[in-house]
Amino acid sequence: MSKQDNRSISAALATATCTLLGSGVVQPAVAQEEPDWDFNTSLLYYGEDGDRVKDFSVSAIARRMFVDDRFLTLSLTVDGLTGATPSGAIRQDVPQTFTRPSGNAAYTVPGGVLPLDDTFKDTRVAISGGWQQPIGETSLINVGASASKEYDYMHLGVNAKYARDFNQRNTTLSAGIALSMDSLDPVGGAPTPLTPMLDVGDTSNRLGDQDKDVLDVVFGVTQVISRNLVVQANYSYSMSDGYLTDPYKVLSLVDGTTGDTLLRTLTPGVEGPSHQYLFENRPDERTKHSLYGQAKYYMNGKVLDASYRYMTDDWDIDSHTVDLRYRIPFGTDSYIEPHLRFYTQTEAEFYQLSISDAQPLPSFASADYRLGDFDAITAGVKYGWRTRNDNEMSLRVEAYRQAGTVPGSQIIGNQASRDNYPDLNAVIVQFGYRF
Amino acid sequence: MGSPCELVCEAPKRAHALRLTGRVAAEAWRIEEKFSRYLEGNIVARINAASGKTIEVDEETADLLDFAVTLYDLSEHRFDITSGVLRRVWRFDGSDCIPGVSEVEAVMQLVGWHRVSWQRPYLQMPAGMEIDLGGIGKEYAVDRCAALIREEGGDPCLVNFGGDLVATEAPDRRRHWKVAIEGDSATEADRIVNLKQGALATSGDARRFLLKDGRRYSHILDPTTGWPVPDAPRSITIVADTCVEAGAVSTLAMLKGAAAEGFLKAQTAAFWCRR
Amino acid sequence: MNKTIVIAATTLLIATGCSSMGVEPWERDVLAKAEMQLTTDELEAATDDHIYFSKEASSGGRGFGGGGCGCN
Repeated sequence: MSKQDNRSISAALATATCTLLGSGVVQPAVAQEEPDWDFNTSLLYYGEDGDRVKDFSVSAIARRMFVDDRFLTLSLTVDGLTGATPSGAIRQDVPQTFTRPSGNAAYTVPGGVLPLDDTFKDTRVAISGGWQQPIGETSLINVGASASKEYDYMHLGVNAKYARDFNQRNTTLSAGIALSMDSLDPVGGAPTPLTPMLDVGDTSNRLGDQDKDVLDVVFGVTQVISRNLVVQANYSYSMSDGYLTDPYKVLSLVDGTTGDTLLRTLTPGVEGPSHQYLFENRPDERTKHSLYGQAKYYMNGKVLDASYRYMTDDWDIDSHTVDLRYRIPFGTDSYIEPHLRFYTQTEAEFYQLSISDAQPLPSFASADYRLGDFDAITAGVKYGWRTRNDNEMSLRVEAYRQAGTVPGSQIIGNQASRDNYPDLNAVIVQFGYRF
Repeated sequence: MGSPCELVCEAPKRAHALRLTGRVAAEAWRIEEKFSRYLEGNIVARINAASGKTIEVDEETADLLDFAVTLYDLSEHRFDITSGVLRRVWRFDGSDCIPGVSEVEAVMQLVGWHRVSWQRPYLQMPAGMEIDLGGIGKEYAVDRCAALIREEGGDPCLVNFGGDLVATEAPDRRRHWKVAIEGDSATEADRIVNLKQGALATSGDARRFLLKDGRRYSHILDPTTGWPVPDAPRSITIVADTCVEAGAVSTLAMLKGAAAEGFLKAQTAAFWCRR
Repeated sequence: MNKTIVIAATTLLIATGCSSMGVEPWERDVLAKAEMQLTTDELEAATDDHIYFSKEASSGGRGFGGGGCGCN
């Protein structure tokens, strides 16, 4: 046996092949093995106008395929939050002073300005993992766990989903369940509900750590209608139990006739609130039902994604969401996708702008604008493109605007002359890279 | 061709796709009818029944024979189209029927390109010897069909004859064809190759082997010894510009047995070698 | 409670009415495209879910509401 010398035979073979196959330019092969891991990463900026909340977030989802369509998903998100959020107190013509949630300091808001609490400089880390595998020919199961931590909040959760195909995979039925066990450790401690905001250093009305459990159940059906159309419908049930109040939000205690916030007698030498404010209180239970429908329709290269969601709960909030996306390809390597979202919700039963001293104290009350009556619109555009090494990048820019109204029956006296509902204007910018 | 043959084609009009399919199928059948050793009356049958007489062959057959000679030289005589007669003593049916040494030696008298006189276009070989173009015929057919498709306008197509395939162009708006290289099912995942254009060919012993005393005899026979190549890999997949080239490299690598990986690393083609 | 029954019944009706629609396996070319999946970008969907969960009173719909958070 001759010595096994490993020369390259490529040149000789290429010549011989040319001779055999005759003329005609043969293009060089372009092939690449698919990597085991798939990554989806993004950088997000969310910014509300003025001094309000700004969020910067980095996320990554990693997916690895194993034999037989089994895969592992891992994700990590890190959020950095700054900026101020409405505290629930209403505008006054005079300056107002509030004690910070920590109870260690106070801050003053000028007259005519919506009171914002800027205590929220926070970092949140969230991780999750999931495993999916097929069962037999037509079913699959997905199990996962999630956890997140910020300095005053911790979340732990598990979830599972089962899906089964019918009718040659034209119909899929799915059922999923998720359980969250969250705990709150608010700065300064959770305040006793509907008690007054106290002087700096006075933490006598504080409670300890709080818990919140959430159970989510989702049933869904996905149906292929035609070669170009697929639809999905989901019914969701959600039950929250525990501490559902926002520990940092207050309501202004106002005069029953003038509607102005009642002044507070200050102790000399002690910093504290200038007016009277009561901490909010929400029920310790909330049940939500949602019905969601989505359709994706392919029209000659363009894709229309339309969805509608109706939500109703036992806090008397009803909401409607319509989401439209229209993806238009540019050549073979990029696309543009305008996006429009309409949202409207009715106020919670216990939402009120302020608490009147002429009325008995309610059991539940909140002035949190997010439980109020408002309409919101999101308008944006996303541009996506394939990079030279066949990966995908995208950039989307969106504007989000909320405009709310306070029911006339809740407006007392001088409140009518002020702009009471904190409108929201935010910008969302997200850059994505998938490889 | 002994395997399912398919054409996956992305064409703007159905009529055009059907016509392409017709042309490809016709070419595949033409090549099979002309070069299959199982059929009577074709050029290979005439050569194999020549009993020592000189046969004049046509241009296409001459080209294939020239190519076989190149592979014979590049493989240190281990690729040999006269080795087909060894199947008289070696039947790879998963049983344990290993032939005896004397049986193999007897058949080896009829094996060896060095016994053949090839002066294009005249071929003469001793009586009893046979040629078998099965080692290059399928890949040749795939490349010929790819050429046909380019002649007809070059639509993005995948010509796949039992795992030996060529992609003429990447399908529009998708980036590439996805070709799966089977793993060992239970323990090994399929590898996915994203093929924009080019060819892929696989040599392997997946289903044809003999098993005796716990030793697996692959169906890749070494024509210089008459016995299976020792320590041949289970499967080799190659990506190259043409299917003929891919098939040649994978076959040559298989014939190297234990030295397959070393040989493959010295070549320029991308490869997947499984033991 | 009545609202719940209506919602659940509607979903069930839609589901059972769907048993005869669809396409043959070889007609799934368009449906297989990445842009035709119900969720094209998981990360973008998760981001939106999180933003709207923090700023509105509703959440989820497509799937679970995502992990909880103390977002204000």
